[in-house]
Amino acid sequence: MSIRPPTLREKRRYLLARIDPAGANIDAKDLYYAMYEAVVSLFGDVAAAAMQPSVLSVENGYVILRCRRGAEREFAIALSTLFACRDSTVALRVLAVSGTIESLRERIQTLVPQEPDVLAQEGTGEESPDAGTSGYRFGTTVVEAVAWHSHKVDVIEKGFKNTRRLFLTTEDLEKIHATTIPDGL
Amino acid sequence: MKLTDACVYPFPVGDSSVRRFALEARSFGYDSIVAADTPGAEVCGITVLPGIFLAGIPAKDVQSRAKKSRGTGAVVAVQVGDNGFVRAIAGTNGVHILRGIHTADKRAFDHVAAKIAADNNTALDIDLSLLISCRGHLRQKAIRRYLDLMILYRRFEFPLTISSSAQSVLGMRAVREVTGLCSLFGMDETDVQAALAGVSRVTEPGESIVKVIK
Repeated sequence: MSIRPPTLREKRRYLLARIDPAGANIDAKDLYYAMYEAVVSLFGDVAAAAMQPSVLSVENGYVILRCRRGAEREFAIALSTLFACRDSTVALRVLAVSGTIESLRERIQTLVPQEPDVLAQEGTGEESPDAGTSGYRFGTTVVEAVAWHSHKVDVIEKGFKNTRRLFLTTEDLEKIHATTIPDGL
Repeated sequence: MKLTDACVYPFPVGDSSVRRFALEARSFGYDSIVAADTPGAEVCGITVLPGIFLAGIPAKDVQSRAKKSRGTGAVVAVQVGDNGFVRAIAGTNGVHILRGIHTADKRAFDHVAAKIAADNNTALDIDLSLLISCRGHLRQKAIRRYLDLMILYRRFEFPLTISSSAQSVLGMRAVREVTGLCSLFGMDETDVQAALAGVSRVTEPGESIVKVIK
């Protein structure tokens, strides 16, 4: 089938969404299935077919999605019901809606990078003071910082079991110095 | 008008600290949050209100707990039970919010309970976690309950609150997203704003219903 002339093409809208938590490694295909399931379960097959939702690209912790013009509000509602992608818990925060992909790409450039874990581990980012140099403690639990964004810190509990991700702030963490003498010694 | 998320569960129940919840709440457009079993505080410009959530206890115990918590500044929320329980609790002084309307029987919250709630300034909570995390008949049931609730709300104008019941910051939703989700059961933007301000409405003492004219 030949490509339609511009006047006969359907108008589309593009949504820019941030993927939370920061540094989540999400495959575009998995996200597409999760997104489509969210749309279909909320609005049904007929509305989903009319909406024509799709995932265009996942880049730097942001995702660009597409839908038919006029359906962006319903699409955004459906996206707010998305809570998991494969086995990991995620949330999509819709930041902008545009008529072109290009403007959303420009928008991504102006936003703060969404891969702070790399900065944190290398200790090169301004927002990751002392990250990656030593361990931290949250209460009695020893944790390891995996993502550091301004005051927000995502950590993972150290250990064999219960290594869940915790969402904390810099004030919640206590740094374990090399000279710290463990309790009882 | 303070926009409040009426229920979050910070660490250790959830996986996020109170401070992180407060930071996220600020970025999502809230002014305050009600955190379960947490002392009240002001964090990053967000008011953290202590929340006491009571579930599965008899009405008499609820009344005594509400009496004890009076004057502490805590927000007392009670899980809805059968119709008799709801009527007893809705009229209890010190109980601020009735939660879990979606889990209760269809007749648990009727027009009489709605009138009692409106007279006693007791709010009904809309839990968005079901709309987010549930699929199929559970979500349909919740939407149906909320549609019923909105009919009574339009008639009796009792306070409403909206809660994310988030155990993680990933479960929280921005005010704009909340407006979209609430539009699924017929709430417009004005209703949502009023409902988000519902906690301050029920916790702050309002004008007396009876005015003494000298």
